[in-house]
Amino acid sequence: MRWFLRRLLFYVFALWVAVSLNFLLPRLMPGDPVGGVLAHLSPAQIQSNPGIVQTYRDLLGGGKGSLGSEYVKYLGHVATFDFGISTSNYPSKVTEVIGRTLPYSIALVGVAFLLAFVLGIAIGMVAAWRRGGIVDNFVVPAMMSLGAFPAFFTSLVAVYFLGLKAGWFPIQHAYDSAVTPGFNWTFISSAVRHAELPVLIIMFVYAGGWVLNMRTVMINTIAEDYVAMAHAKGLSDTRVMTRYAGRNAILPPLNGFAAQFATAVGGLVFIEFVFSYPGAGLTLQQAALGADYPLTQALLLVFAVTVIVANFIMDIANFVLDPRVRTG
Amino acid sequence: MSQIQPLTVDVLEQEALPAELPPLTAPAPKGRLRRAPLPQWVRLLLSNPKSRGGLIVLGAMIVVAVFAPLIATHDPNAFSLIDSRQSPSWNHLFGTTDQGADIFSQVVLGARTSLILGASAALLSTVLATTFGILGAYAGGWIDDVVNFVTNVFLVIPTIPLLVVVSGYLKTRGSLTMILIIGLTLAALEARILRGQALSLRNRDFVQAAKVAGESTPRIIFGEIMPNMVSRIAAGFVLVFYVAILTAAGLEFLGLGDMQHTSWGVTLYWAQVNSTVLQGEWWPFLFPGLALATTVAALVFILAGLDEVSNPRLRVERTHRRAWRSLLLGKGRT
Repeated sequence: MRWFLRRLLFYVFALWVAVSLNFLLPRLMPGDPVGGVLAHLSPAQIQSNPGIVQTYRDLLGGGKGSLGSEYVKYLGHVATFDFGISTSNYPSKVTEVIGRTLPYSIALVGVAFLLAFVLGIAIGMVAAWRRGGIVDNFVVPAMMSLGAFPAFFTSLVAVYFLGLKAGWFPIQHAYDSAVTPGFNWTFISSAVRHAELPVLIIMFVYAGGWVLNMRTVMINTIAEDYVAMAHAKGLSDTRVMTRYAGRNAILPPLNGFAAQFATAVGGLVFIEFVFSYPGAGLTLQQAALGADYPLTQALLLVFAVTVIVANFIMDIANFVLDPRVRTG
Repeated sequence: MSQIQPLTVDVLEQEALPAELPPLTAPAPKGRLRRAPLPQWVRLLLSNPKSRGGLIVLGAMIVVAVFAPLIATHDPNAFSLIDSRQSPSWNHLFGTTDQGADIFSQVVLGARTSLILGASAALLSTVLATTFGILGAYAGGWIDDVVNFVTNVFLVIPTIPLLVVVSGYLKTRGSLTMILIIGLTLAALEARILRGQALSLRNRDFVQAAKVAGESTPRIIFGEIMPNMVSRIAAGFVLVFYVAILTAAGLEFLGLGDMQHTSWGVTLYWAQVNSTVLQGEWWPFLFPGLALATTVAALVFILAGLDEVSNPRLRVERTHRRAWRSLLLGKGRT
């Protein structure tokens, strides 16, 4: 329980850091962010939204108050999820834009990343179990090269060959333009169909890291006495590999989940850009290009919170899987 | 700390990086190599097939970058509607863009920008990470707290979105700004690795001896601790070099880099923005993408070689040939 509280405290701290960094960034930058934002709104638009200039000042700086009082105002906006209007999606509010785009990204990266984890762990385990075998010599280098390649290049190649030339996958957007989003079968099947290729790409790009990690730890685990003991008991090879060596070897790679997930969330920006996939990543890129700072500020916060939440979930998984954590 | 316990690496660090091989047990190079006036670690790197391959490919790419203006056949920014959207031919080896610029020349000259950008950012972050990582570990106290705090920030904030947002705030995005923001971001990641390693060296006898002898802090950091971490720092540099090249090209690909220069990422950006892929043109993205992929793959191989040189456990001796044979001749599993 004490362990749990300590982790919780760390995440609260991490959240505070993310919020504060988002406060400081626009204030540290040269130039006038609020002016840049307002340049994208017409005078009539500013007129019809009283208080919008003040909201932007509170969020991005340029107000007259001291840094401390601005920080308090900023925290107030964050706590009430009030990030003003997104200039590139006028008249939508920032929160509306995020609510519209984030579900696509979460579904995409959530599914793909779990698949990458399972695939990578399985391949790494088998590769270490049969050192110098076919999986170790051919599948591992292949996965590692895929992982080392820039994700956006892999996506472009896949879009061209698998999507355009072979015609196996749709290559643009999240669903057919003829379909209206809603909770019905036509939309869901169309959305799943459009997510197939991006999910496959994320899976193969990020499985490489797990393969390497798992293989290295597993090689060390196999040399442990309890594995020899399990063999001596006459247990089947598969059982020793999965229940004895594998189960123990999985813990250190699991600790790397945090960093890997953060990388995958970053990679999402590229993949969504290639596929014109209307998720949070593409929205972030468009907003950054279009000087829609209220939106980029809120999105960066969303990305950070996503990573923090994923970390927390992994901690709980670790808690369940590793008895040492529970007692220690 | 007694000498019986020479390696007090903390747990996290041990998982992240394999333990180092004591120099005495390193295989003694034989014959021709011994006479070569190369430092031992270079010889070790060259004796490992992975890092040798990587070094050769990277070397070739550097040669292309150095002699880029001589190799390029056309003006990379040429604008000609007659020449636009041509598939590869003898005149245009890699085809042309929508604006009629020669992609071969863009890729060749882009090697220069991409390598310089990556190397400068990596150098900046290595210098910062080495200084602050070791300083934090050695000095402890509030200095260490600050270093720790900054590196923890980068644990929870994904790098790419952070860089996208920062680039968005910048009105002018020149090469220098790119180097600065990429170098600073990656420095925090690298400092975490080096700090862990330095922590294990802090209490070793030779450091304590230097301290008692009244050596100054900079002297202990740069004269005593750093020389014992050279291989880690080198590995850190290669890692950051790899990430920096990818990050720089990635930001350019998103349209958020220094778009005035010729570079691989910029060529890829225009290929994407003009939706060349959707029109069935494969050359505008394939060639710059391959150049980028080859370069980063070379760096990954150098890194893998570095790992194997310092951790013999990861090496698999002569099993590749057996595996090939069994695959080709079907003589059962090895």
